[in-house]
Amino acid sequence: MKEVILHLENVWKIYKMGDVEVPALRGVTVEIKKGDFVAIIGASGSGKSTMMNLIGCLDVPSKGSVFLKSYDISRLPESDLAAFRGKTIGFIFQQYNLIPSMSAFDNVLLPLEFLEYDDASAAKRTREILTMVGLADKMHHRPTQLSGGQQQRVSIARSLVANPEIVLADEPTGALDSVTGKEVLELLHRLWKEEGKTIILVTHDMNLAKYARTTIELKDGQIMRVVENHGVKK
Amino acid sequence: MRLDKCLKHAFDMVLHSKLRSWLTIIGIVIGVAAVIAIMSIGAGLQQEINSQLNTLGGDLLTITAGFSRGGGFFGRGDSPPGSFGGSSQATSKSVILGRTDVQTLKGIPDVAVVDTEIRGSVNVSYLGKSGKVSLTGVDQSVWSQVTTTKIKDGRMLDSADQNVVVIGGSLASNYFTQPVGINQMLTIEGSAFRVVGVLDDSSTSIYMPIALAYQIIPDKTLNEYDTLVVKIKDEEQLDASIAMIEGKMRLARHVTNSTQDFSVSSRKEMQATRAATMSSMNAFLLAIAAVSLVVGAVGIANTMFTSVLEKTKEIGIMKAIGARNADILKIFLFNAAFIGLVGGIIGIVFGILLSGFLPALMGGALPFSRGGTFVSLNSILLAIGVSVLVGIAAGSIPAYQASKLKPVDALRYE
Repeated sequence: MKEVILHLENVWKIYKMGDVEVPALRGVTVEIKKGDFVAIIGASGSGKSTMMNLIGCLDVPSKGSVFLKSYDISRLPESDLAAFRGKTIGFIFQQYNLIPSMSAFDNVLLPLEFLEYDDASAAKRTREILTMVGLADKMHHRPTQLSGGQQQRVSIARSLVANPEIVLADEPTGALDSVTGKEVLELLHRLWKEEGKTIILVTHDMNLAKYARTTIELKDGQIMRVVENHGVKK
Repeated sequence: MRLDKCLKHAFDMVLHSKLRSWLTIIGIVIGVAAVIAIMSIGAGLQQEINSQLNTLGGDLLTITAGFSRGGGFFGRGDSPPGSFGGSSQATSKSVILGRTDVQTLKGIPDVAVVDTEIRGSVNVSYLGKSGKVSLTGVDQSVWSQVTTTKIKDGRMLDSADQNVVVIGGSLASNYFTQPVGINQMLTIEGSAFRVVGVLDDSSTSIYMPIALAYQIIPDKTLNEYDTLVVKIKDEEQLDASIAMIEGKMRLARHVTNSTQDFSVSSRKEMQATRAATMSSMNAFLLAIAAVSLVVGAVGIANTMFTSVLEKTKEIGIMKAIGARNADILKIFLFNAAFIGLVGGIIGIVFGILLSGFLPALMGGALPFSRGGTFVSLNSILLAIGVSVLVGIAAGSIPAYQASKLKPVDALRYE
């Protein structure tokens, strides 16, 4: 039995729209094991973005608890949570979310600066990881000087630089053409296989689910089913 | 995040919004430059006052007719009587200083010499150019002992002098089309006078023997004086001497403390009063300058609020990848402090330039600009400190707001 890295216990998330309360998640309970490749799929409005925010410790539940490596995230003080998040989770966003005024190198370096790495090892690590994603020759380009696929690879490099246990990817191929999208997914797959990362992929695209070992299907804020795909091998 | 990294990111933020940063910086530049320039006037004034207080004249008392209660130096001492009036009984014709007063003063043991003076405005011309200047008739036998101004050229008035004058430095050098030299003839109210001395000052005054002045200045009655200048024997006993003089003169003039119709003021006291007035005037100007600094601070706050809005998404990203609230707070605070610092430094440069031009700009018209200006190291350090603090203070609310953004909301912001 593998260690549970993430555990959602009867999680509710309710948004207030004026006087109306809109529940985005309704009593979700799920466990994600260390080293798994999980796809959270669902149509828009199914609550998958909300779930991603909670898994990524970007938000706290209205009811219930989120445990990340046995810490209850709603009980952690803000600064501890931020540091914990920086160390444990790497984010890959649909719109890359790179900082436009910084070069690829500086974007990737940023998480290490927040974690107060010393300059030399941070720079070394940044170069290594950018080389790994195949951008050794583009380190000093600004995001605007890079193609979508390259930007997404910078974003992947940034998510990996602090060597997190979990990589959380929100529609990572959403803004890419199918060829580049496939490359990005294969990169994620390699990370899972070779580096032993826990990959959590949030998507509306059922086709992407075939890369994942576990598929969690959401509908109307509830988990419809959890499917283990034993065909996906490490 | 380490402090040096926060500083670097703050600095990058300033660099990447150049135009807006510079516009904000201009606001601070104006405020700091105004404060520096005005402080330089204040410092120059202070220097002038200090040097005056240390020069001669501490043993001189000026007695004028009339008495103004509640202080104020206008209408007393050096200025021509009546020109400022000064809420006094001097307007009453019957209040005069005359021979009896001089006799009284001469009978006081503390008094060394008494100079009798009258003063008026006269027409003067030289080589076709004419103007109206102040003329003082003095007792030429003692005048040299009661004047604190030095002679630059020629000599002081002498007891045997007839039809000669001593003139102020400015009247000699640049009042007329050509400089007036020693032994040149000035025409004053139609009569010719020979210049025997030029004073080492910047006045346009003329001094002549009092006997002649009675004939030259209109509406003067012989043996009535505008001012009596008294030199006392012991400067250390200034207050006692003033008390004694006032007492004796009250007796002689048949007045009491409450009906006293003359006033005795010391040069020291007048200078102190002048210093107090000037420094309150300076404080007033400084307050106005400070207002522009406040406006500059509001500019910083405004820029920072805009910047926080603009960078909301970036703040969200930074938080997602591990930024603490404190990191965001520091970056934005340093950004504001940078704007303040750069504004402060440029403002100091402009302020120093401005303070150099200020005396010329005001043409010496304002009395407090006479001492020139002086930019002290203290005022520079103060200006830098204040501008950085202003930046931080103005940036604190926006920075706090930025730091408290919820990552999920910030990320969703477009």
